Amino acid sequence: MLPDNGKITRRDFFKFSFAGLALVAAGDIIFRTAKAFAQQGASNGRPKKNIKGKHDLVCAKGDDPYAITVKAVDAMGGMERFVKKGSVVVIKPNIGWDRTPEQAADTNPLVVAALIDLCFKAGAKRVNIFDIPCSDARRSYENSGIQRIAKEKGANVYFADDWNTAKAKFGYASPMEGWPVLRDAIECDTFINVPVLKHHGLTRLTLSMKNLMGVCAGNRGIIHQDIARKIVDLTDFINPELTVIDAVRFLYRHGPTGGDLNDVKKLDSVIVATDPTLADSYAARLAGLDPLSLDNIKIAVQRKFGSADLDKADIAVLGSRLI
Amino acid sequence: MKTGKWIALRRASQAIFLLLFVCVLWSTTHPLNGPLSPQLLFKIDPLIMIFTSLSERIILPGLVFAAAMLAATVVFGRFFCGWMCPLGSTLDLLGCLGRKGIKRRKEVDAVNAKVRKPKFFLFAVIAVSAAAGLQLAWVFDPLVITARFISLNFIPAVTLSIDKFFIWLISGLDLRGPVYDLYRSLKSSVLGINVYFFSHSFYIFLFFAAICASALAVPRLWCRSLCPLGAIYALTAKAAFLRRTFESCKNCGVCKSNCRMGAIKDDAGYSKGECILCMDCIYDCPENITRFSWPSAGREGSGPPPDRDGMTRRDFLLLSALTVSSLGFEFNRKRLRRPRNVIRPPAALEEAEFLDRCIRCGNCMKVCPTNGLQPVSFQSGIEGVWTPQLVPEIGYCEYNCTLCGRTCPTGAIRGVTLERKHETILGLAQVDRSICIAWAENKQCVVCEEHCPVSDKAIKLKREAVSGIEVLRPIVDVNLCVGCGTCQNKCPVRPVRAIRVSPI
Repeated sequence: MLPDNGKITRRDFFKFSFAGLALVAAGDIIFRTAKAFAQQGASNGRPKKNIKGKHDLVCAKGDDPYAITVKAVDAMGGMERFVKKGSVVVIKPNIGWDRTPEQAADTNPLVVAALIDLCFKAGAKRVNIFDIPCSDARRSYENSGIQRIAKEKGANVYFADDWNTAKAKFGYASPMEGWPVLRDAIECDTFINVPVLKHHGLTRLTLSMKNLMGVCAGNRGIIHQDIARKIVDLTDFINPELTVIDAVRFLYRHGPTGGDLNDVKKLDSVIVATDPTLADSYAARLAGLDPLSLDNIKIAVQRKFGSADLDKADIAVLGSRLI
Repeated sequence: MKTGKWIALRRASQAIFLLLFVCVLWSTTHPLNGPLSPQLLFKIDPLIMIFTSLSERIILPGLVFAAAMLAATVVFGRFFCGWMCPLGSTLDLLGCLGRKGIKRRKEVDAVNAKVRKPKFFLFAVIAVSAAAGLQLAWVFDPLVITARFISLNFIPAVTLSIDKFFIWLISGLDLRGPVYDLYRSLKSSVLGINVYFFSHSFYIFLFFAAICASALAVPRLWCRSLCPLGAIYALTAKAAFLRRTFESCKNCGVCKSNCRMGAIKDDAGYSKGECILCMDCIYDCPENITRFSWPSAGREGSGPPPDRDGMTRRDFLLLSALTVSSLGFEFNRKRLRRPRNVIRPPAALEEAEFLDRCIRCGNCMKVCPTNGLQPVSFQSGIEGVWTPQLVPEIGYCEYNCTLCGRTCPTGAIRGVTLERKHETILGLAQVDRSICIAWAENKQCVVCEEHCPVSDKAIKLKREAVSGIEVLRPIVDVNLCVGCGTCQNKCPVRPVRAIRVSPI
């Protein structure tokens, strides 16, 4: 490349400079890629913040799902307790199925709308809403009514990417070790879990713990083997700050898909709690079941992960109708 | 190659229609609310509409559009081929690339006449087969070939590259924030939330690529020689009002050697049926005497002598042989046909009728939200090549979706209401108890029951106590199962699913 006299011409100088720059750029890209892949590896999950509400659990009853949700959260001491100014909030409703709100297979859109309004009022910078549905994602987002109302309220509704995950790491032996969990669900300041109360063939009811399967990617069917233990571990991994159970309409049989309005009973309730186990226990009793007959609640209590003692807990029931 | 106003207009029209074609197919996806229905692309195709109607003895509603196109051809000539056809435009584009390397040959009239003959044979075979009840129009229809390529090869490849590029930017280079937001907004709008794949679509690509390659050798060889839609337009255009005229020609032969269709003859006259109105000869003419005009314009120059492209005895014999062989195929169909062993889309017609009605355009496969509709190779016999089948392991039939019926241009898949669709039976699910987790391993699963979209649950759970453990075992209720394949798709057992849908 060099001329015979050994001197470097101007042209050669430019050539070498460009080659050098290109090499540095390529190296940078490779380094960044490697670094990103290394980071992508694993996650220890979200830390437990132990924020307490005014009560252990609030159940608000009434005809208007929006109003009772606001009432219940306010009774817990307001959303400000859970959402700090400028924070990123994830609201995780159940948008699993291509069903309408009346069919009650997905979380009631008005409950979600109320939570979005409360989060923004508390100063949230961004409210993310997503799920990995079982039906076609577009149809589920549209027909559940959640996409439209959440966009109107200014939340960030999007389709989750199953490649943007981190492998779950537990401090103990867990059957969920290494499961890919959405990074969006892990990397947020506040996580609000908003399941809908409905029947399920295996866990009897699907509640807050089961709802977290929606942030798992991969071949999710496998989670069903030994599901109770797995969803307790998953709840321990995500550690939602707040659990809001939509019990406005209760799909009491042929769940979790439903589709027949004859399978839906109106309960007109919204349950708010900081302890997912307590929330699930209360909802189970609301559905007419003994909380401890649900395997996941039993395991959570055995592991002292949460409490199912509805008599000892500080429970506030608002509204006219009682259980 | 000189250019001028008309050539610029023609190119603009070609670009617009090609782009429109791609855009209509691109938007052939959920929720399918674009201004133009993908059915329309084939409703304007007289070859498809006339011969599907003829072979099925029905009147397709699209015949109106096809008739309008033929009426316009009687006025203008083969404008469709030169100004609208997406395949023709693609071939012109490739011809431009190829033109530099290849020296134009000056074909004599006899060669040109021979080159243009096969398409009429194809057309005749299609027409006679249709009269006998066999629809072959789809095989060489240019709109079908192009649409299938765009839907099953081009769009998946483009979306895959864009998707992978963004994934690399986001997770590879760790560029989040606005880049991720852009990606998400693209995904929920133009890009679509899924990247689709189609099995053995490589052969669909090869078919299209072969036609394109021919254009690199000889411009528009396909259109001149093989295109049966070109044939139907050529026959109609013989009566066209608009025609090419010239005065006191010096026979320099420039227009002849430049004509992409080989339509111009040695005496500078032309074969009206072959002219696609590309308008090159107006501007190529060194004397500037070539025009296109209406008969009443009063400028009666030494117009072209009338066509004398008759049929020779040899042609007649060849045509007879081809027709008889295709009819032999028709009469032997029952023996050639295999029992139906593929799952057809919901509300598809009866198999025999479906095979005749389906033009393999790929609309239903493109629109299927789960990617479950896939092209058949030879599973349903040679007749069934590239017809759609549901492959539940790739994607199931979405319970509340009726999109495939809404995109089918010939009604091979009926457009039905949601209530009717819920009653439509595609197949029957069967549990393979030898590998089912609940039956063979006594473990918890119920994934199939959980996902079953039938509101009464076509999969029932049988509670059984096996050596002290209580297991919920799935049993298919044959009276309720619609064969949508959701259970097979969601079944976690690998590599073979423990619940599978068979066609009935």
